[in-house]
Amino acid sequence: MKSPKSLAAAAAPFLAFLALAAPPAVSFGSIDDDEKKKDDEEEAEEEEEGDKWFAIVGGDVHTGTGAVLRGATVLSKNGKIEEIGYNVFIPEDAETLDAGGYRVYPGLVAVQASSRISRGVFGSAELAADPDHGHDPHASDPLHPDDDWSKAGDTSFGDDSAYEELEEAVEGAADPKDRPDFEHSFDPFSSYLVMALSAGITTADQSGTAAKLKRYEIDGVAMKEKHMDNFSWSSSGRAGLREKFDRASEYLRELAEYEKKKKKDKELKEPDSKGVDSKVRSVLEGKTLAKFSANSREDLLGIARFAQEYGFRPVLQGCREGWTVADELGRAGAYAIVTPRSRRAKDERLVREGGSSIENAAILHRHGVQVAIIPSNTSIDLGGITGRDLLHFPVEAGFAVRGGLSNEAALAGITIIPARLLGVDHRVGTLEVGKDCDAIVTDGDVLHYQTFVQWTVVHGKIVYDKQDELLFHHIRPRPEPEPEAVEEVDVEAPEGGEEEGEEDEEEPEEGEEEEGEGEEEGEGEGEEGDEDGR
Amino acid sequence: MLASPAALLLLAIAAPAEEPGLALRCAKALTCADEAPVIDRALVLVKDGKIEAVGSAAELDVPDGYEELDVGDLWVMPGMIDLHCHVGGTRDINDMVYQCNPGVRVMTSVIPDNPALRVGLAAGVTTVLFIPGSGTAVGGQGVLLKTGLTTFEEMLVREPGSLKTAQGNNPKSYGEGCGPALYNWHITNIFRRGRAYFEAWEAFENGEGPEPERDIQLDVFRALNAGEAQVSSHTQQHAVVQSTLRIQVREFGIETFIDHGSMDAFRGAHLAEELEVPAILGPRSASWRSNSRGYDHDGRMMGMAAEYQKRGHTRIGFNTDSPVIPQETLQLQAGMAARYGLDDSGMETVRGLTIVPAEAAGIDDRVGSLEPGKDADVIVLTGHPGDPRTSVELVFIEGELVYDAEEERRW
Repeated sequence: MKSPKSLAAAAAPFLAFLALAAPPAVSFGSIDDDEKKKDDEEEAEEEEEGDKWFAIVGGDVHTGTGAVLRGATVLSKNGKIEEIGYNVFIPEDAETLDAGGYRVYPGLVAVQASSRISRGVFGSAELAADPDHGHDPHASDPLHPDDDWSKAGDTSFGDDSAYEELEEAVEGAADPKDRPDFEHSFDPFSSYLVMALSAGITTADQSGTAAKLKRYEIDGVAMKEKHMDNFSWSSSGRAGLREKFDRASEYLRELAEYEKKKKKDKELKEPDSKGVDSKVRSVLEGKTLAKFSANSREDLLGIARFAQEYGFRPVLQGCREGWTVADELGRAGAYAIVTPRSRRAKDERLVREGGSSIENAAILHRHGVQVAIIPSNTSIDLGGITGRDLLHFPVEAGFAVRGGLSNEAALAGITIIPARLLGVDHRVGTLEVGKDCDAIVTDGDVLHYQTFVQWTVVHGKIVYDKQDELLFHHIRPRPEPEPEAVEEVDVEAPEGGEEEGEEDEEEPEEGEEEEGEGEEEGEGEGEEGDEDGR
Repeated sequence: MLASPAALLLLAIAAPAEEPGLALRCAKALTCADEAPVIDRALVLVKDGKIEAVGSAAELDVPDGYEELDVGDLWVMPGMIDLHCHVGGTRDINDMVYQCNPGVRVMTSVIPDNPALRVGLAAGVTTVLFIPGSGTAVGGQGVLLKTGLTTFEEMLVREPGSLKTAQGNNPKSYGEGCGPALYNWHITNIFRRGRAYFEAWEAFENGEGPEPERDIQLDVFRALNAGEAQVSSHTQQHAVVQSTLRIQVREFGIETFIDHGSMDAFRGAHLAEELEVPAILGPRSASWRSNSRGYDHDGRMMGMAAEYQKRGHTRIGFNTDSPVIPQETLQLQAGMAARYGLDDSGMETVRGLTIVPAEAAGIDDRVGSLEPGKDADVIVLTGHPGDPRTSVELVFIEGELVYDAEEERRW
């Protein structure tokens, strides 16, 4: 459906609403071109008129702050949450999403995620220059195989015309000079992006940048850069690390002294920042977080003590033996990034407790450690082994619950806590007034293994609709709403329209076993299975 | 959510030998029996390592002298069965001597109570089929074992457990030039020799022929042809599974189950059902794109179990291929099958972890459901096994408590 030209049109941020406007039964993932143009024009007019309102109406809202508001409404204005509650006044021109019978959660936050998710095929110069990648099935848009715009200028990326056209389109949206580097590599049409959204992920770390997973647009996708810095706790590097922290601490003391006295003493010289490591300085100033990869009890304890000595809160990646020293880690104000399922054998030479424990996340949490959860595979695995990658992000949190963590803390582990680690908790991670309207609407408990995200909302726009994408639409299809109700979403509110609009499906879980269309049987001999196993 | 029946239980179990019998009360019993597959407020009576009775606590009386254990809100179900597993012993299980090694027996490499099995046990896996690798067309003989016991003799359920065959890409790696035609010829050839060997022994035993010379490469075919063991076939792609059915099942009539079922083989599911061939699926549970193999899912993520089911297949089970994926995630295989569309209204997920693999391996007279006379392999868990949040709290094997999470939570 998307030629490079229409991509430019799509860069106007309103295409997402088509998901609502289009009758749900149309061919999945494709939208009629004429209709789109018309709608785009309408949207453009609307924008000029002023504020952009969006409301998620009637869902059970799990705010992530502890409150659950049943049958409540989340109203956003220009992408920010304006109001959450009951009897919310919804402006006439607001787009609405009827979430009656569904649950609403904050969008999930992946504290680590393969850069492939937002990079698409355009991010890397090498990829673009390599014509072979034009034929990589993973590089084209798997969800929209028929509209293979990646092949628009002839199948090869060696010919850059399609690429350049897209660049132009997306860069037109803001002055490139003002754009963070990251946004140059962001592909708002990436199929992996859609898959991440399908899993409920709306914010993800992308090579050190907290990225808002916008679709069709790139303005504002870089929310925060380098909020966490990696530090090594290797036995050989520790002495050097201490020197750096000593030097930076010394400098900061001098600087504080200088700031205090400089008004009285004009002669006073600013302290020399020579030899001060900027990363370390930033950590000590509380501007960024220091992340250490560590699993063994000795390392974890060492880092906790080190952090307490210099006065910062460490982030412990891995943290598999954390449960054996949770008390100390809690006192150090540590954060942990854990994969509850990961295993580490106990060192049998030691009498004490050791190795991994399924209870790790629960024990750490109980001792005040803020636990972020991440699956072992931080990319999207299309090989067929399910339940351990970002496409199944909440499953990993489920394993933390198995080990005794509460559902609430597990949800925090994939929302607000990773948001804190990425430095964007003031904007995402919970549903609160003033924060970004990044939400997911699910057909059940987000931690339940059968739950699907039905809609994903980013910045007050629907960017994923399960029934509009090929990926999962055939699995327990969502009951279709009454046609009138859909039409009325876009029309000026008629009398009594609100009531009809509320008409919803009560039982989202039990979709009928449909799947009417027959299976097209492919031809040919299996050539290159990627069989694994033994 | 975690129960604490440990203290009580230790009292109940500590007494050895005479075994007073155990009465286990629970909120829900997923019996996996044809009659009364789910019993609320259930009572399970265990005596001498066997299940004596299962029923509603309101209707069933506890005999005198039985130790009572009330697990409150927890559920019970039969121990889970993993029919594709390589963690029963040493892992050098690809003895790629010949393309066909039917005489190789992994039973000789079993390491009882090893760390991988211990974690699997803590996830409720009580029976495994420990099999050779799939590096050759006929990898050798698998062995059926109970996991939580400490000697091979105690663990042994049946030997041979199966004859492992492998089709698809893995046996191709045996050597340059080993394509499907060649490895299938190897399989056909050895099965034909095996049939002749079996017939010669039959004749001898019926007094109709001379005593054949014993051939340990072919001994397993006596069990296979007599219906005393199955072929566990590592087979996955549509065309490959078709040839599995053609050779092992139709041509030789040997009881076979699809093991390590993957990819797009569901396209032939109706045929497998017709031939009564169970499909034990995993470690892959979904197929997103296999057009490089001649089939395109059109961008859809296809749940394999769901697709088998949709085509009328009724013998769907799950395996892990541990250590490829850890044994403790067997239950997640079932959960993911349900996520990807398997209709679970007949407890297909739970059956696929228990009675379906038990029937596939021909050991349903001993395990796979909570029914009188079967081994008391019972697990106590906090909810539906498909949910990763569900934890296994207690595991009994043959009436003996072999895992108690309260004491040492391994998973």
